[in-house]
Amino acid sequence: MSSHREAPAISQDPVADNADTYAFVSPDDPSTVTIITNYVPLEGPPGGPNFFEFGDDVLYSIYIDNDGDALPEITYQFQFRTTYQNPETFLYNTGPIGSLTDPNWNKRQLYDVSVIRGHGPGQNGKKQHHEQDGQGRVIGGNLACPPCNIGPRSTPNYDALAAAAVHHLPSGETVFAGQRNDGFFVDLGAIFDLGDIRELNTLHLIPTPTGTSVDPLKTMNIHAIAIKVPISMLTRDGSAPKDPLSAKSVLGIWGGASRRKVQVRDDNGNGTRGSGPWVQVSRLGNPLFNEVVVPVGDKDRWNAVDPIDDTGFEEYVNQPELARLLPVLYPHEFPNLAAYTADRADLHAILLTGIPQGIVPGFQNFTGPHPADMLRLNVAVPPTTSNPNPIGLVAGDAAGYPNGRRVFDDVVSIELKAIAGFTIPLVDPSYSVDGAVAAVSSYLTPGVDRYQSTFPYLGTPHDGYDTPSS
Amino acid sequence: MERLSRRSFVKIAGAATGAAALAAAPPIARAAIEEDAKRTNPTARVPEEPVVAYVRDAKRGEVTVTSGTAEHTYRDRVLVKRLLRAAGRKDVS
Repeated sequence: MSSHREAPAISQDPVADNADTYAFVSPDDPSTVTIITNYVPLEGPPGGPNFFEFGDDVLYSIYIDNDGDALPEITYQFQFRTTYQNPETFLYNTGPIGSLTDPNWNKRQLYDVSVIRGHGPGQNGKKQHHEQDGQGRVIGGNLACPPCNIGPRSTPNYDALAAAAVHHLPSGETVFAGQRNDGFFVDLGAIFDLGDIRELNTLHLIPTPTGTSVDPLKTMNIHAIAIKVPISMLTRDGSAPKDPLSAKSVLGIWGGASRRKVQVRDDNGNGTRGSGPWVQVSRLGNPLFNEVVVPVGDKDRWNAVDPIDDTGFEEYVNQPELARLLPVLYPHEFPNLAAYTADRADLHAILLTGIPQGIVPGFQNFTGPHPADMLRLNVAVPPTTSNPNPIGLVAGDAAGYPNGRRVFDDVVSIELKAIAGFTIPLVDPSYSVDGAVAAVSSYLTPGVDRYQSTFPYLGTPHDGYDTPSS
Repeated sequence: MERLSRRSFVKIAGAATGAAALAAAPPIARAAIEEDAKRTNPTARVPEEPVVAYVRDAKRGEVTVTSGTAEHTYRDRVLVKRLLRAAGRKDVS
């Protein structure tokens, strides 16, 4: 979760595993949108001497659809390369790292950012084309990642290193790529123990004494690719829309990672060489879509195709397995959900088309009838800067998920409540929500260290010396 | 799908590897590569951008070649047979 190790194939390939995608109007710079795609899930901070990094042989992409056709009009792509200052030592660093050019820092990553505008010759053929992958216009070259956060001797002033790795590009974008605190939170241990929520243990089919939710991610890091872009560079007409009900205010956003079709491994340990086109191995729009909506036999296929191809996955949204499981796992607690057999038009709208006008007063993020898993961000909705609600839109905070996704949004609670029936009345006023839905929650409040108020918004990564602390 | 002749395929693959000399070789040398392949030891590292050909569907005679970020599939039953023989497959007719 939200897409950490969510499918069989990508669980074997962490550097290409898109674990979370975020998109929101930057709260401290509301003329811009920030998009973050996270990789390398469940990083243990002390994982040296080869501390975590991006894959040099992976193409990382951020896609933006600005006209509602589920095809990207704008694609940002990131490619990394690792260098060594001193191959004669086993050490990641040979002394304190005081700057991004410090000779003490041995193993480094640099990256290029490129942009592709337009989605190729197939735009009338309802297909996303990848012929231009890896060949976009370079807008930033040889950009430095920060090191991983090692500990007080090696990275004594980590925040300064991270700040130096925020790059302002001449083309107008701001980028960062490197290790951060993982902002996602969930009780992984409970949820995958037959859908348990510790606070509701006594109600479970296999009851145990009531417990308190545990967040194993609170000591984990992640590798984030973040880009901040002026809104006017993303919209279809180059404007910065102010009307939330205008179609041009809505952007569809998702992330993806690709590998070359063929990898040839050298006999003498000189690594691998790629050949052939880039082939997508991971993607992510809405949190938890592939994780808990798509069944295991289709998860790898879902990762390989594009949102334009999501028609084939509609049935899993319309009749979600988890909605059938909840009344079984919590007997007698969800009688109305158990009796509801109609297709879930509420989930279909939230996940696949966006919410049309007339459902939530003054709001929409509808991108058209074609079903496609994308985060849908209405850029005309200003950021909530005072007491934002992590439950987002359903709690009255229209700047939060499923209007895009902020780093602190409690997407587990939001999606669990939605699947449990909380959002059915939006499309079927005759439906009565089960009382137990109010108790469905992540029961977690992440610490303030998980986030920061400025770009790239995810907090300082845990250092390996102090984490775990015992 | 038969996109190009076998000779065109060899040209494309060779050009991409720097082995264009094969396609442009004089008739005697060209005849030599038509003989059964001889097993040998590799003389160099895997190239930075390898050209890879693999048999996609032996019954249909389909072979796919990747080079750079391109991929093309050809129908070439003779080439597929030669590749399968080189792979030591005994069931090649």
